[in-house]
Amino acid sequence: MAIISALGRAARTKASGLLYGLGFFYNVLKETGRFFRRAQVGYKVLIMQILFTGYEALAINAIMAIAIGAAINVIGSSLLPQFGQSQLMYSILIIVITRELGPLLTAFVITARSGTAIATQLGTMVVNHEIEAYMAVGLNPISYLVVPRFIGVVVSMLVLTVYFNIFGLLGSFIVVQVVNPTPIGEYLGALMSTLTVADVLSGLTKALVFGVIVSVVSTYQGFAVNRASTEIPVAGIKAVGSSFILIILADVIVTLVQYA
Amino acid sequence: MKFKIKFADQIVGLFIIVALAFFAVIVVLIGANQRWFAKDYRFVTSFPSAAGVAPGTSILMKGFTIGKIDKLRLNADNAVDADFHIYDTYYDKVREYSILELTVSPIGLGSQLLFHPGTGEARLEEGAFVPTADSIQGQSLIDQELVLIPPKDDTITRLLANVNPLLENTNKTIVTVNRTLTEVNRALAGQSSGPLGDIVGDVSVAAAALPGAMAGVGGIVGDVESRVAILLDQAGSLLAELETIAGNLAATTEAVRDPTGLVTTLLDPSGSIKTFLDDDDALYKKVMSIVGEADKAVRSLQGIITGLNGEMPKIAGLLNETKAAIKQAQDVLEGVKNNPLIRGGVTERVEQESLYSAMREGSFE
Repeated sequence: MAIISALGRAARTKASGLLYGLGFFYNVLKETGRFFRRAQVGYKVLIMQILFTGYEALAINAIMAIAIGAAINVIGSSLLPQFGQSQLMYSILIIVITRELGPLLTAFVITARSGTAIATQLGTMVVNHEIEAYMAVGLNPISYLVVPRFIGVVVSMLVLTVYFNIFGLLGSFIVVQVVNPTPIGEYLGALMSTLTVADVLSGLTKALVFGVIVSVVSTYQGFAVNRASTEIPVAGIKAVGSSFILIILADVIVTLVQYA
Repeated sequence: MKFKIKFADQIVGLFIIVALAFFAVIVVLIGANQRWFAKDYRFVTSFPSAAGVAPGTSILMKGFTIGKIDKLRLNADNAVDADFHIYDTYYDKVREYSILELTVSPIGLGSQLLFHPGTGEARLEEGAFVPTADSIQGQSLIDQELVLIPPKDDTITRLLANVNPLLENTNKTIVTVNRTLTEVNRALAGQSSGPLGDIVGDVSVAAAALPGAMAGVGGIVGDVESRVAILLDQAGSLLAELETIAGNLAATTEAVRDPTGLVTTLLDPSGSIKTFLDDDDALYKKVMSIVGEADKAVRSLQGIITGLNGEMPKIAGLLNETKAAIKQAQDVLEGVKNNPLIRGGVTERVEQESLYSAMREGSFE
């Protein structure tokens, strides 16, 4: 009986938390709509968020993209000719870089770097009663703290995905020249003949969804801190864990929708 | 203040603008390479199956992509209609008698859709039908050497190019044999209305009518024999009469030669003969009428013999033909009996034996 009661209590808590999260997400979307009409409120926060989340992650993002693109190029150019299917290398490169790994790895990087930072920062503000101070002076914490981070993470995610594609598809070419010299015109021609707008839009759609997940989950976990400073790292861990799970689930769903 | 913080706006702006520029360049490059703004010439073709072909499949000519498949649909005849386009830069290759060829890798490495230009002078109009190499129309163009097909350059494809016709011929032969056996079985079962069924039916009817024919032939032969016997009897009796007449004439001639005999007596003017002959030619006329009758009889005999001689080759031929027909019928019956394809064969005749003799022989053995 006690087990059943515990299960019921846990289910009710989860349902309540889910409803609270959905309500939080709704408020974020609503305030995002108003953000551009009163941009002065969080403009500087938005710029700083894009700077930290996007620009500062560009280096690691570029290195990952070049490395993965080069690996696919090297493996493909040595393996596929054995089956007489050299032309498939470009398709594989595009599917892996543009459609799958580009948005996914970028989301992981942003979650690891910015998700934890956002959750920790907001949790610290809660512990320090800064949120109460904002509310006391009439500032909506969601409008001033969450929306700029939400937009910043989403924009950074989209922009970093574009860079990931650029570095993954073109930057790897430089590395491949060492192993298998190929004329740039031939490489670009074959690559652009294979690449479609649908591939690019697929990657950007995933980037948009992943950006929303990372920003909402991180801010939600930051605000979930109550009063103890020990809750702050827990909020960071939860933000990363929840974001990873939701990103993978969203990736599967978006892929299924696109290929259905 | 740190540089990044001081120029955060500019850095972020540049960060976003460069990304947008890259994105725009990629979209433009995609459009340029995928010929968004170029003129394509559209044609139609038909495949027996969509296996190995899909929308977007490249159409290759000597390794160059000269067009792509646009759309596939299954038509009412269970063939696959396909719309495809050829790039404007290669439109001059699309001439009369051009064909498409779908080649499938023998070791499962996908397929290629090849374009072979025709030898015609005129370009095909947009929307024209381009046959495939495995269609009847395509085969006809290839057989007439109206299309330029380069030799396949890989060993497996060359081998398969040689093996495939053999396999196709073997397959056709097996199908033909199968159909023939089916037709033979149906014919032997009496279910076929084709030529073979008619032949078997005719053989069956002929075999059934053979005993009647043989009885007819026997009747004809018997009739001929009886007629010949009658003719021979008549000829024999006539010959006997002629022999008697010849004997009489010989005796008369001998009597005439005797100087003291009959002639002298006959020539005596006071004799009874002279008296007998002086009858105003009555006897002479009588004799002449007898001679006339004899002449008629001889002519009749001569006609009968001549007619008989004329009929003898026909009778002999008829007998020979009858004999040959009996032999052929015997061969047909033996062939039909020995044919393993006949199911059931000819029903054996059950001879009803005399009960008395059978019982008696069984009892005293």
